[in-house]
Amino acid sequence: VTAPPEVATLRETVSPKLGGGETVEAGASHLRARVETLERRLHERDEQRRAMLHIMGDLNESNKRLATQRKAMIHILADYEHDRRRLALQAERLDNSRRALLHILQDSHRDNLRLEASRKAMIHIMGDLRETTIEVKRREQELRDKQEQLVQAGKLATLGELTTGVAHELNNPLNNIGLFVGNAVDLVELGARDKGRIVREMERAMQQVRKATEIISHLRTFGRAAPFSRDPVSLRVVLMQALSLMREQLRLRDIQVTVDLGAGEPVVLGNPLQLEQVFINLLTNARDAVADSPRKAIHISVAVGSQAAEITFADTGPGIPPGLERRIFDPFFTTKQVGQGTGLGLSITYGIIKDLGGMISVVSPPGEGATFLIRLPLAPLDPKESQQ
Amino acid sequence: MKPLSILIVDDDLALLEALPEALRLRMGGVTVETADSAATALDRMADRDYDAIVTDIRMPGMDGLKLLDEIRTRQPDTPTLIITGHGDNDLAVHALRGGARDFIQKPIDRDYFVAALYRAIRDHVTTLRSKERQVAMESWADELERIVEKLEGELRAMTGQDQP
Repeated sequence: VTAPPEVATLRETVSPKLGGGETVEAGASHLRARVETLERRLHERDEQRRAMLHIMGDLNESNKRLATQRKAMIHILADYEHDRRRLALQAERLDNSRRALLHILQDSHRDNLRLEASRKAMIHIMGDLRETTIEVKRREQELRDKQEQLVQAGKLATLGELTTGVAHELNNPLNNIGLFVGNAVDLVELGARDKGRIVREMERAMQQVRKATEIISHLRTFGRAAPFSRDPVSLRVVLMQALSLMREQLRLRDIQVTVDLGAGEPVVLGNPLQLEQVFINLLTNARDAVADSPRKAIHISVAVGSQAAEITFADTGPGIPPGLERRIFDPFFTTKQVGQGTGLGLSITYGIIKDLGGMISVVSPPGEGATFLIRLPLAPLDPKESQQ
Repeated sequence: MKPLSILIVDDDLALLEALPEALRLRMGGVTVETADSAATALDRMADRDYDAIVTDIRMPGMDGLKLLDEIRTRQPDTPTLIITGHGDNDLAVHALRGGARDFIQKPIDRDYFVAALYRAIRDHVTTLRSKERQVAMESWADELERIVEKLEGELRAMTGQDQP
């Protein structure tokens, strides 16, 4: 290390003074010591300076780093600011959501209240419904009772219808009985020897009594309000019975009746009286329908399928006016004049057939009269099975 | 006097056995024929005249009222009685207006029936007789008229001669 210039100057200044012997020597050594001290200090200072330089360098580095960090900080701050704004925005949104939620909650609360009210109302309604159901059941029972009464009323009406014809029918055997018995009385009074002649008259009278009894017993059975059982019933037998009640009326009105019973012997589940009423109603309708027709005919046919029997009643009357095909089965609906029909016949017929699980319909193509079709389910083959 | 002949028309075959027997028992010597329809009755009528015809009112095909019309057209003088059902009053009146002599209600009262039948036949005979007498009276009246005229002529002639 080279001494700094002031150290050299110091040496030159000091050296002339040293000519004076020991004092000079002592001064010189003192000076040397001082120089050494100074040099040491100088060295130290130099060390410090270098250290400072290092530190300065470090500081500079730090500064640079700090600058970089500051920039980064500014970036981060910008980002932070951005995030902050976003957060604020989100907070606002959240607040909105919160408010919305509050509203929803309030609404939901109100809804809950309403639900509760509705539930209470429902309970009321259920209670009412239960009462109504009971009422409806009661009414249904009432209706069934009324229907049964109606069926009986209809039967009596049918009976009334029949009575005119039957009275005439009954009058004939009665009249003949009177005549035959009268003849026998006359023969006895005249003292006739021929007993055979008297007996013959009496036998003929007995025959007429049997005929009258048959008619009456049939009517009595028909008019009886019997509980309606479900038994296997032969359609052929019932149809023939209905025809026998109507035969005289139809015959006197010149109505030609043809019956096509087909090959089978259909047996349905039902009540013979009810079924007879159905057939009598249909025959009565057909009878009245053909009253003014040029050709008066009723054709009855029976067909048997695998499940059901079909019976058709076709007449040569004017048919049913279009649009009335459905209404004719309504109670009290009649096209007949006041006092000529109750309007119950077909509705009762409909009720009976429905009761037996069958169906009744009518077709009436223009100019071809009316045809009623009845379908009745066949009875199970084993009669014991059907009674259970 | 020839026996009375009566035709009974009814579609009830038992009645066609009973009623003729009753008539035979009650009206001695009567001839009764039967027809089971109006058409048969008209055929029978073509063959002979009956003193009376008795027909039921209700019959299939041609009924009693139509048969009555036919009888009135073909043999207006033959008395016709109509048998009606009990309570068929309207029909009975109808039959009387249509020219029936009487109506009998079923059940038939034999006394009433026989009486009505006799009455009808008697009325018929009486009517015929009175018609005959009417005709006779009229011819007598004509004759009398002629006699009176003749006498008046003669009288005039006599008085004419008397007067100068």
